[in-house]
Amino acid sequence: MELLLIFTVLALASFTTLLFKNRVVIEVLSLISVTVTLIGSILIAMKVSLGTPYTLLNTFSVDAFSAIVMLIVSFLGFMIMAYSVPYLRQESADHIIGDKRAKQYYVLTNLFILAMLLAVTANNPILAWITIEATTLSTAFLISYYNKPSAMEAAWKYLIINSAGLLLGFFGTLLYFTSVKSGAGALSISWDVLRDNAMYIDPVVAKVAFIFVLIGYGVKIGFFPMHTWKPDVYSKTSAPVGALLSSALLSVGFVILLKFKSITDITLGEGFTNQLLMVFGTLSIAVAAFVVYAAKNYKRLLAYSSIEQAGVIAIGFSLGGFAIFAATLHLIYHALVKSSLFLLAGNILLRFHSSKIQNVSGMITAIPRTSILFIIGLVAVIGIPPFGIFLTKFYILSEGIITHPIITVMAILFVTVLAVGFFKSVISMLFGEKPESVSVEKENIWLLIPPAVMLLTFFILSIYLPPFINTLLNQVASI
Amino acid sequence: MSILVLHFLLEIAFLSIVFLHITKKNVGAILAYGIQSLVVVFLLFNSYLESAHLELLLVVILALIVKVILVPTFLIRLIQKHELTFSISTYLNTPLTFIVLVFLIFIAYSNKFLPLTNIVPAHNEFLMLALAMIFISLFLIVNRRGVISQIIGILSLENSIVAFAIFAGLEQSPVLQIGILFNIFIWSAIAMVFVSMIYKHFGSLDTQSMENLKD
Repeated sequence: MELLLIFTVLALASFTTLLFKNRVVIEVLSLISVTVTLIGSILIAMKVSLGTPYTLLNTFSVDAFSAIVMLIVSFLGFMIMAYSVPYLRQESADHIIGDKRAKQYYVLTNLFILAMLLAVTANNPILAWITIEATTLSTAFLISYYNKPSAMEAAWKYLIINSAGLLLGFFGTLLYFTSVKSGAGALSISWDVLRDNAMYIDPVVAKVAFIFVLIGYGVKIGFFPMHTWKPDVYSKTSAPVGALLSSALLSVGFVILLKFKSITDITLGEGFTNQLLMVFGTLSIAVAAFVVYAAKNYKRLLAYSSIEQAGVIAIGFSLGGFAIFAATLHLIYHALVKSSLFLLAGNILLRFHSSKIQNVSGMITAIPRTSILFIIGLVAVIGIPPFGIFLTKFYILSEGIITHPIITVMAILFVTVLAVGFFKSVISMLFGEKPESVSVEKENIWLLIPPAVMLLTFFILSIYLPPFINTLLNQVASI
Repeated sequence: MSILVLHFLLEIAFLSIVFLHITKKNVGAILAYGIQSLVVVFLLFNSYLESAHLELLLVVILALIVKVILVPTFLIRLIQKHELTFSISTYLNTPLTFIVLVFLIFIAYSNKFLPLTNIVPAHNEFLMLALAMIFISLFLIVNRRGVISQIIGILSLENSIVAFAIFAGLEQSPVLQIGILFNIFIWSAIAMVFVSMIYKHFGSLDTQSMENLKD
């Protein structure tokens, strides 16, 4: 029931927005839709944590991992929408966008959140693919949002790379159906049916299928070498969209990929998929670590950090056991911290009117509150103790040291290299002389509350996990 | 339909993708895509005849409308609107392109992919050809510099996967097939809007003219 309500409200908010011209009405509609989504997701997560199977019309179902990612998507959706209202108003006041563009933003963002939730809960792998493709379609115009040549180029790159990748993912998905030979009229072939029949897949077909699926959904997650769209898109799209893409979409990609992993593991044992995740994870960290030094744009820095974090999470899921618990928790922490950093990057952009690192200096003087939050977020995302990300990274890498010492040592080295590169760039932005053209007027409190709440939530979850989330995490780890 | 007819149809689809690699004119590329889509519609119609599921007939009709009529028509209008007679060149020259094509076809026919092409042993030949179509469609997206060619490459890749699915007996339920068709239709519409916007911003549809992402 809650799921149906969430889908209906998001779809209605998106379509009714088209009917209104009044900006306030449009904003209220979107805020209502994300509030209902958040409340509904919490209720669903609580039910799932009690061990109650949650399904809707046999077409959608929620397991422990889906429930966690639903919470991530809906919480981020709520916070990002709350940030979007003052952010877009500020952009309108600065004559960066008009009312039409703002309306387009709210329509597409609601659709994007809806598509992500449909993908996470779809009971059928093909339906999941269709809805994941819908995330590409709903975000393409959000990326070209500023209607500049660079934004257009980034959106085109995103559209082509994601579509080609997802088609390969679609091919891989179809290969899993060799175990059941669906035939016409079989809508009910769910993830569970594929899992039950996994032993009938030819092992070579299963290997090829997983490789294609890894490429397809790896594009969404941003694994090397499918990551190339990420820095371009994150640097050219608006801050709230960057936040949703970097944290929510990444989590959704992992949900689908891990469902295929669980099927493949039944056919081949865990070795094959674990090795692939380990290799792609380590390579992603390595590439991000080295490319970060060439970054001239602070949003690109955040993109490389996302690629690195995706690598860490992939390594965690490849190790099994307690590392899965840590990787899932890392997914939550990363989503909270990275999206808050993106929103704070939006504040920097609004004040400095440039996303280039060389054009930003004296942040501490110009936007002190944003700067403090940005430093806290930066320290947290890098994984400095005592923050939660330090602990999850520590658990993942210490588990890795035992089973894969060489790769893990390399991963630790790359993570450290990236942290140094990240700090080097951000320090130059924080201190030094503020450009004369940049004003020191008071910061808009409404642009600070959402990222501050996200960071606060991260701190609370670093020291205390609500029982229902803890139960869900344990359920994920035990699968 | 007899095996010979099916083989003939699939070869036409295969040759249309090879043609897409060498054609210098956009109209030729769009026509080749239209013919390739028509072949896929025939293959879907054959599935309908074999299964006699009425819902599949709806899929056939929708596929005909979307892939054979709407998308090619929109593409033709687009190139007429912007007077885009000639397609943008490839990264590799024609001889090198052919060498890569031969290599990709060789891979598709190699023993490495035998478990895939033997999913339905009776359709082994079809599946090898469909797999080759998938590989060379993917190469089309990578090798072509023009955005219209890239759109056609994506659509060809989708057609190739559908052809593979038909011969491998992996067709999905009509509801899901309609969902996929709807996706393709929306994707095509969005991609075509982007073509107009890219042309407006860059005055060209050559991806090499896009150099704004260097920071």
